[in-house]
Formats: sequence, C-alpha cells, structure tokens
Amino acid sequence: MSLLDIQNLRVEFGAKGRAFRAVDGLDLQLDQGQVLGIVGESGSGKSVAMMAVMGLLAGQGQVSADRLRFDGKDLQTISDRQRRKLLGKDMAMIFQDPMTSLNPSFTVGFQIEEVLREHMGLRGAAARARAIELLQMVEIPGAAHRLESYPHQFSGGMAQRVMIAMAIACNPKLLIADEPTTALDVTIQAQIMELLVQLQRAHNMALILITHDLAVVAEVAQRVAVMYAGQEVEQGAVERLFTAPAHPYTHALLSSVPEHSRGARRLHTLPGIVPGQFDRPTGCLLSPRCPKAQDRCHIERPELLEQGDGLVRCFFPMTAQETL
Amino acid sequence: MTATPMTAPTAPVMQAESLTRHYGVSQGFMKPKVTVKALVDVSFTLTAGQTLAVVGESGCGKSTLARQLTLIEPPTGGRLQVGDEWVTPGDRAQYKRLRSQVQMVFQNPYASLNPRQKIGHQIGEPLLLNTTLSAAERKDKVLASLKRVGLRPEHYDRYAHMFSGGQRQRIAIARAMVLQPKILVADEPTSALDVSIQAQVLNLFMDLQEQLQTAYVFVSHNLAVVEHIANDVMVMYLGRVVEAGPKATIFANALHPYTQALLSATPSIDPAQRQKKIKIHGELPSPLNPPTGCAFHKRCPKADARCESELPLLRPLEGRQVACHHV
Repeated sequence: MSLLDIQNLRVEFGAKGRAFRAVDGLDLQLDQGQVLGIVGESGSGKSVAMMAVMGLLAGQGQVSADRLRFDGKDLQTISDRQRRKLLGKDMAMIFQDPMTSLNPSFTVGFQIEEVLREHMGLRGAAARARAIELLQMVEIPGAAHRLESYPHQFSGGMAQRVMIAMAIACNPKLLIADEPTTALDVTIQAQIMELLVQLQRAHNMALILITHDLAVVAEVAQRVAVMYAGQEVEQGAVERLFTAPAHPYTHALLSSVPEHSRGARRLHTLPGIVPGQFDRPTGCLLSPRCPKAQDRCHIERPELLEQGDGLVRCFFPMTAQETL
Repeated sequence: MTATPMTAPTAPVMQAESLTRHYGVSQGFMKPKVTVKALVDVSFTLTAGQTLAVVGESGCGKSTLARQLTLIEPPTGGRLQVGDEWVTPGDRAQYKRLRSQVQMVFQNPYASLNPRQKIGHQIGEPLLLNTTLSAAERKDKVLASLKRVGLRPEHYDRYAHMFSGGQRQRIAIARAMVLQPKILVADEPTSALDVSIQAQVLNLFMDLQEQLQTAYVFVSHNLAVVEHIANDVMVMYLGRVVEAGPKATIFANALHPYTQALLSATPSIDPAQRQKKIKIHGELPSPLNPPTGCAFHKRCPKADARCESELPLLRPLEGRQVACHHV
C-alpha cells in the first residue's frame, strides 16, 4: 500500500453553486523513499492541492476526494486532534519564503525546540541537544550558538535551512516542499536541493517537490505530475516525460524552456494564458490554446486515463513522431 | 518590417569606464560610517542592436550598475558615455536629456505600474515629460507602442490590475520603448513570470531589438535565459567583474571558477547537458566586510595563499576578460 494515496482530489472555494474549483482531479500515489515533482504555472492549483492534503485549508475551501489516505489513515475523516499529531511529525511541509514562515519574534532555537516538545516530548537539555544536531544536519556553521539567533539574522539560504531542520525534526515519512528554492540564488539553490535530496535518502522519506522550475524537477524527481488550471494533465516517470511528453501542454511547457531553442532566435511559445475563474472553456481546459485541438476537445472534457507508465488527460496525445 | 539602424553598427551607444559606486552606511549612533563598495571598476562597451547580459547573484552589484546606467544616481568614480556624450556629474539639464535615451524595465510588473492610472496614461507619460507633442499625437504614439508589444487599442483605458503578469510586463516594455531609447536596461524582467509567459516576453524583447536596433543591458541570474538572449556576458561577484566576453566563448569554456560554479549550479532539463556539480560552499560574503584579496577565495575550490592576499585584476585571456590568479 502506498504511503500517500490520492484519488480524484477536488478543492473548491466560495459558496455552493458558484464555487470555484481550484483543484479538479488529482491522482497521486507515493511510496516511502520516492521523490515526486508537481509542476505547473502559477494558478494551476499545485500548492492548493498540497495544502488540502495537509489539511491547511480548513474553513476556507471544501476538500473532497474519492480517496485521500496517508500511512493507512483516511485524511478526510480523522479528527482535528489526530491531524495535529500527524502534522509536523509524520507529514511536514516547507514553504517558498523562509522569512515569512519563521516567526520573527522568537529565536530559531525556540522554534525548533517547540516542534520537539510537542511531538517528541523532549525538554530542556535533551531538546537543545537535538536542536543542535538538527542544525548540524542542515550544515549551519556554529550550530550551538546560532540557536540563539533570530530569523532576521539569517540569510535567505540559511533561513531555508532552518525551515528544513524544523521539518525533519521528527523524522517525517513525507516531506512536502513548496517552491523551496524559488526565493534563492542559483548557487544557494543548488546547495539546498542537494541537502534536501541527501536528507531524503538518509531518512528514506517520501518527498513531494512543488515547483515551476522544470529543470529542478528533472534533476531530482523520479516521477512528475503536470498540472494545468487545476487539473492533473499528465503523470509519468521523469526520463520518459521529459523526452517524450504525451500531453500537448507538457510538450508546450517543455519546448518553451530556452534550453530547447539553442541557436534559434525565437523561443517556442504557447499562445494565450491560463484561463481564470470565469473564463474556463466548456471542453478540455487547454482547448483554446492547444495546437492539436479538434471539435471534440471544445465540447467534451477528457478524463485522466492510464497510458504507458503514467496518466494522461487528452483525447489526442502526442505521438512518437512529435517528440521534442 | 525592416528598420535601418540609427547608428553604424560599430559605433558604441554606451560606454562605461571604471564605473564605481560606493555607499556610506551608518552603523548606528556615534559609530563611524562604513563604506560599501557596491560597484568597482566596471567597464564595457555596448553597440546598437546588441545585448549585454549582466549575471550574478543577489548582492553582486547588478542593480547598482543598472542605477548608474539609467542615471538614477551618479557614480562615485569612473565615467559613462551615453550616445556620443560623456556624462558630466551634476549637469541636470544633460541628465534630463540623456535619460530619455536610457529607459528601464523592472523585475516586478506588479510593483512598477501605478495601480491608479490608466495604462494609456502611464505609457504616454514619458512623452508628456520629454516631448512637445500634442495630446492627440501622444495618444497615437501610445497606441502604436501598445500594438508593437502585442496589446490591443482597447487596453488603453484599462488599469494595471486588469492584466496578467505577462501583459503587465508588456505594458512596462511599451512604456520604456515609447521614446524609442537607444538603450534599454532590463533588471530581471522575466524572473517573476511563468516559463511559458517568459518565452513570450523574451520573444518580444528579441523582436523589438530587431525592429528598433535598441541596445539592451539585460540583468539576470538565469543563465538559460542569458544564453538565449545575450551577445556579450559580464559575470559579477561582490561588485566586481570576474569574467566578461562574448556569450559563445564564455558558455563554451568558462575560465573563472565562479562562472564555472554558476554554470554547473544551473539545473538542466536535458540529462546530456547535466554536469557534475561543482560544489561551492558558503554564501556571498557581506559587502560591509569583504574578504581580503580575491572576493571569491573563501568559496573557491582553487583558492590558495595568494588569493587571500592579492586581488586578481581583469586581464585578457582566450578571447575574454578574466580576473583570477589560477587561469
């Protein structure tokens, strides 16, 4: 059985009847020790979907799914009390901007020890010793004395290391990283990604990496899910998906990366923009922008179906002749 | 559309000689001020229709350089030529005249547009300030400028919040281009955009350059974008140029350890392009307290005793300029 098993996840915001569906059909299975990337442009629902899995949308959005299980527990029916025991312990999350995720009023030592106190019952010297060990694990120099520092005394990269230390404090089974390196410089990004992967291997964690940077996913993940306007449009193994994408959107996204147009003066583009709340087409959500769209695509919405090693949501997937 | 270049392709439209900018930073009450050398001895030549990419991480002086080039603030040393005029420090009339030739596009189009003004008005404002055109003539120019960046005439009366990020960046470009400047300084113009929108905006930059022969100074940390758009590349570290030269030369064979590290740190979607990562430790040192000798020596895999004490100077080598003792 998979560690995380999601079937047809949906998230809606707003009143019934005129609700906006931010996530509309996400299937994921993830085992211990696997790395999965979720890619998509802003507004594609990748962050909201993972917030829903974490249960962080309470009171704001309606989450429903055919199946939403983590480590044998049904996340749709567990009590708040049980959920609080799970979050930060077996399931942890790190966010894009470390500076707004850390509390500016407390030392980082206090914030790390808080996690250890809540979930592991560690107090005093034991908590302190573990906090120092954690900061050493994320390679912060002078760990013991850095515990007394406040978040503003850290650089962006160092603050993100502190976030990672907090997230892995209780050896979680699943770590969700939402754009963990977007706010960082490229050499620091490389350091943080290497650290994440190294920790993931050492603890045999499952890692979900949410990002809009295709190259980061290509280097780190084993599987990728591609989202467009709230829907999962394709999922598959990294090597296959990056060389022979099946969905026209994945194809377009990959060809718009400058690396694919070496030597050419113009980049490949997908005309138009992601449809918003009020201008979603009746048929396939990509149909107004899709170069392969036929009459059927403008009327009917395709289902997410199994194909080869993964899933594809398209009536007319790319053929072998149309590789990148 | 074929446009004839305004100047001969070899004549520089902008030239910087040892451009330097220091800032005095207060350390607190009664404490002496410290000097931050944000920009030290930067020189380059830019010709019409060419793109110079300035590459580096935060704190390397890219944005300080952009502020000097756009005449937002005067340099503390060195000199700058815009068009065929050398900039005289403090000559306000000259500043005003030259500024219309150097325009700027900022990183975040959500912040660089005024939310309370119609975008037609914002695009027309440079014309109002710098030309004597009548209202009707200005409107014509604004509409032409909108069309050039791929927007429609009905967008004239709309407000910034009604546009997507990519469209807002197009508006910012339209505003920068409405005076037909010789030089456009773009500070990370696509880093706030999604990859498919980034491709559209980069294509727009390329098309405009072809039509108008504008020279670009393109500040970016994204080497994949730089490789696509630039003719020349200038890599900066802590306020100094560490390597500069033609794009092809630098991307084919980077000599400075920092350039090599940057290139290897950039993730690639193509497994064949993927190289073994050069590990560089630590972070950019504080400009308040820069290391002695070569600024990069604390993170450099090749550093030795000489790098700690002696500052390497830029010297020509294999078709580019490089500042390193070990090449």
